Amino acid sequence: MEYDTIIGLEIHVQTKTKSKMFCTCPTGYFQKEPNSHVCPVCMALPGALPVPNKRAIELCMLMGLATNCTIANEIFFDRKHYFYPDLPKGYQISQYKNPICSNGSVILPNGFEVKIERIHQEEDVAKSTHHTSTSESDYSLIDYNKSGVPLIEIVTKPCIRNAKDAKDFATQIRQIARYLNISDADMEKGQMRCEPNISIQEKGRWEEKDGMILPLGDYKLNPKVEVKNIGSITAVEKAIEFEVARLTKDLEEGKPLIQQTRGWNANKNVTEFQRSKETADDYRYMPEPDIPVIEVSNEDIKRVKSELVELPHEKITRYMDDWGISQYAAEVISASRKDASYFENLQALLSDKLDPKVAAQEAANWLMGTVFALEGDKEIDMNDLSLLIMKFKEGKITKGKAEEMLKDCISNNKDISDELDMFEKSASDNAGNIQDIVKEVLDNNPKAVADYKGGKEATMGFLVGQVMQKTKGASNPNDVKNILIELLK
Amino acid sequence: MIIDVKHTAELSRITLTPEELEKFTPQMETILESVSVLQDVDTNGVQPMKAHVKFEELREDISQESLTQEEVLRNAKHKESGFVKVYGKVFGDIEES
Repeated sequence: MEYDTIIGLEIHVQTKTKSKMFCTCPTGYFQKEPNSHVCPVCMALPGALPVPNKRAIELCMLMGLATNCTIANEIFFDRKHYFYPDLPKGYQISQYKNPICSNGSVILPNGFEVKIERIHQEEDVAKSTHHTSTSESDYSLIDYNKSGVPLIEIVTKPCIRNAKDAKDFATQIRQIARYLNISDADMEKGQMRCEPNISIQEKGRWEEKDGMILPLGDYKLNPKVEVKNIGSITAVEKAIEFEVARLTKDLEEGKPLIQQTRGWNANKNVTEFQRSKETADDYRYMPEPDIPVIEVSNEDIKRVKSELVELPHEKITRYMDDWGISQYAAEVISASRKDASYFENLQALLSDKLDPKVAAQEAANWLMGTVFALEGDKEIDMNDLSLLIMKFKEGKITKGKAEEMLKDCISNNKDISDELDMFEKSASDNAGNIQDIVKEVLDNNPKAVADYKGGKEATMGFLVGQVMQKTKGASNPNDVKNILIELLK
Repeated sequence: MIIDVKHTAELSRITLTPEELEKFTPQMETILESVSVLQDVDTNGVQPMKAHVKFEELREDISQESLTQEEVLRNAKHKESGFVKVYGKVFGDIEES
């Protein structure tokens, strides 16, 4: 039997604000004392009133604008009820029928379009850790610092058909979040969480309509599985692949499938049963009476839109089309906004003297070949780097010597332009006696000379190398070559 | 029966004995019946009454000092190393968001 894989993704992203979603408590809870960023609103003490954070809503809109969503002109909040100690109010403030952003899409590198159903605003919950004890009953410890941190939830339509596309989508969302400074989106720190919904259905027996999977004829749909605890982008792909294989095997062995939630175990690379979902979740949504309807004007949306910048996939296309940069290089360079802007600025600097395409090629080569390898916490001064690249392009310095100088300047805090001056001075000092050195090399290598004269032109490289070695790289290889050719005539 | 009291109780993690269930069900039904007269009011064409606020009037993103850990934990029945401590089967099969 042939099956189709049907995947929908829910991605939670903590957005980067200074204060929480509905109160003024600070958000940075990482490695802080437990319960030190908590106020009566976080604790749901009687009379506490939630007051929405403008910046948080802007960041939610920004994510929507970056993914081609429609932004609502009226924002409503709703209460989603469930009883759990990580949520002292007994409900989470979320959005039900009217999310801030709806009907968006993202185009993956392979051209596939992932449709986004909605992006809505909600609040994060407290962190709880579970403990077993021999001396008392099992217990949980709760830290409310995370409770109330702004959280957005991105929900795709069930339009994804394979694990790789799901992974690429998560990667792209993370990249957008980082580019626009919406979130650091570090999955290990829980700033971004991915929960795929997966099912497999017989080929040709179902259809997708308005974001719903419907059976054709008398076909009965297989239930779906939700996977939680995914702590990295690679685990998104692995967990889905594992689930698809597991579901296919169960179906073929005639085992009944049940709707369930499973957890990813990153040590064993398997998903594990958590609970079955026999009934629909009963969250008893109701409008949040404590928060008024928020009126958003088109000017407000326009203002948020002005924060959009050129996104990685747009940069990749531009680098390739305008400058002939390879797809691989374009992807590496555009992966972070910082690297991309360094690249673009370096290209602009080099374009003063070089053809823009050559400038882009050189900038890309130097970044990928040298700068990324050398650069630690310290950023290499761009003017210095462009000076060095220009000297290399003019044939005044070999690439090896230039890289060596760059490395030396970075690790020993030297000034590149000073070093270059010194290098050029010693090169011109050497120029006088370079004739002597060349003669010496020719005298010492009679075989190479004979080979060259006998037509083995490759020997020239060896001879140039010998001279360069004697001058310790402080001479211009082109000059050396010309002198050699002259003397070997 | 117009309300499933058992299900409602489970959603709030409250265990009811069969006697309690028998006692509470008619009480809750009476309450719901009394309130249900509101359902008869014709609200066609009536806009929901909700306060509105303009986007630019929302709270600016400025953080302020929170309560101290001691203050936060003052009302907690059980605590341990700065955490609120919760015992037992409170963590059932209800979903974490």
